[in-house]
Amino acid sequence: MATRRHFLKFTVAAGLAPAVVSAQGKARVVVIGGGFGGATAARTLKALQPTLDVTLVEPNPIYTSCPFSNAVLANLREIDQQQFRYDGLKGAGVTVAQTSATAVDAEAKTVALADGNRLSYDRLVMSPGIDFNWGAIAGYDEAAAQKMPHAWKAGAQTVLLRRQLQAMEDGGLVVMSAPANPFRCPPGPYERASLIAYWLKIWKPKSKLLLLDAKDAFSKQRLFQNGWAELYPGMIEWVPLSQGGKVTSVDPATLTLTTEFGSHKAAVANVIPPQKAGAIAAQAGVADRTGWCPVEPVAFESTLRPNIHVLGDAAIMGGMPKSAFAANAQAKVCAAALVRLLAGEKPQEPILINTCYSLLAADYGISIAGVYRPDKGQLADVPGAGGVSPLVAVGGLRGQEALYASSWFHTIVAETFG
Amino acid sequence: MHRALLSGLASIVLLVGPATAADAPPGASSCTGCHAPKKVADSVIPHINGRKAEDIVTFMREYRSGAWPSSVMGRIAKGFDDQQTQAIAAWFAAQPE
Repeated sequence: MATRRHFLKFTVAAGLAPAVVSAQGKARVVVIGGGFGGATAARTLKALQPTLDVTLVEPNPIYTSCPFSNAVLANLREIDQQQFRYDGLKGAGVTVAQTSATAVDAEAKTVALADGNRLSYDRLVMSPGIDFNWGAIAGYDEAAAQKMPHAWKAGAQTVLLRRQLQAMEDGGLVVMSAPANPFRCPPGPYERASLIAYWLKIWKPKSKLLLLDAKDAFSKQRLFQNGWAELYPGMIEWVPLSQGGKVTSVDPATLTLTTEFGSHKAAVANVIPPQKAGAIAAQAGVADRTGWCPVEPVAFESTLRPNIHVLGDAAIMGGMPKSAFAANAQAKVCAAALVRLLAGEKPQEPILINTCYSLLAADYGISIAGVYRPDKGQLADVPGAGGVSPLVAVGGLRGQEALYASSWFHTIVAETFG
Repeated sequence: MHRALLSGLASIVLLVGPATAADAPPGASSCTGCHAPKKVADSVIPHINGRKAEDIVTFMREYRSGAWPSSVMGRIAKGFDDQQTQAIAAWFAAQPE
């Protein structure tokens, strides 16, 4: 009920404000961020309601996908297979402003752009992804990331980490550092450890991987650990928080990572730092003290600023994890809700699905899935649904799930960018 | 207040046009993250647009019970009751391939 009042209140405000309607009489939606959330939202809005004026603000002409970028590290894919342009969106009638959003004025309902222009909106969709909490690990800043790559935004960082792995001598120690929750792609660090081990086993079999973790449990944990024992015995050592896994400082000059319990010198170091919503979220006033963005669970409207909807990794989505599948699913729900809101109607209560595959080897996949619906102001798991792959695989299930993983990737990038 | 609300809404409705008459039923929009609208060369995941609604319902029921083995579909099907499943199936059956 609170949710409904929230909508009505903002709808009334919108209805009485003359700024709602542009000269052409079209409702205007601005979307900030061209990843799986933002690009899907822009595209779906235009497909559902072709008369809408939809502008996507994204500085990069090419998007580099994080999903499957761990396979690039293991030489299973090339970085250009991760890259997608926005021509499909332009063809679908979305205006693409290739620049950054520098400021959101929630009162005036405008977005200032780095190219000097200013966009007015009736509704704003923000899907800004993540930024890093530089300095949360002492010594880890943007310069340090050139020595100890995070590779948690795919692109040049992915290529850098792969090059470092290839240049490493056989027998070298790869050290990874994984952050506490919440962060982008909860199973991602463990898929990465798996695929680096996959590659080391072939090319540098005397090498080992040490995974320092700032938490005591992780996504699909038993499946990963069973897989490591089966595929890479003795190669991956996982150090949880309680055994000194939390990295507190790094020295990029000597590739040393220091935990509460001691120091580890790496041949190659991959530091995945603590994260927050993309910086524009805080500027817009939609991020709270956690650094992430609280939203209501029906149209993902910010609970802090009206007429601004936040999607994907930046948002606090209750039980739903920060994944590309989730961002894409949220974007489609948000787009349908926006079409209704702009027409003065109430959005329907959604149900959302998340599916996330991880690779432990080229032909070894595992998965997690969940179904979510609004409950008590949050997206909550539908009881009895969801869960992970069975611990005992029968009938070639791991191979099948690796195939499903790549099939999923082809489909979702086609839907988002195609 | 009520009158202001209604007239405000009416003017927006005129300018935006009606919302799409047939919104996808709850849950349906998530399916297309894996199930493409038509056959995709690089995908082993079946497309479901234009499939018979009763076939989709039967599959979902068998995934849910475990009678038909699956990867994620059994875990997903358990999140939808018969009525919700029926609505999703009817919607995909009506979508063009």
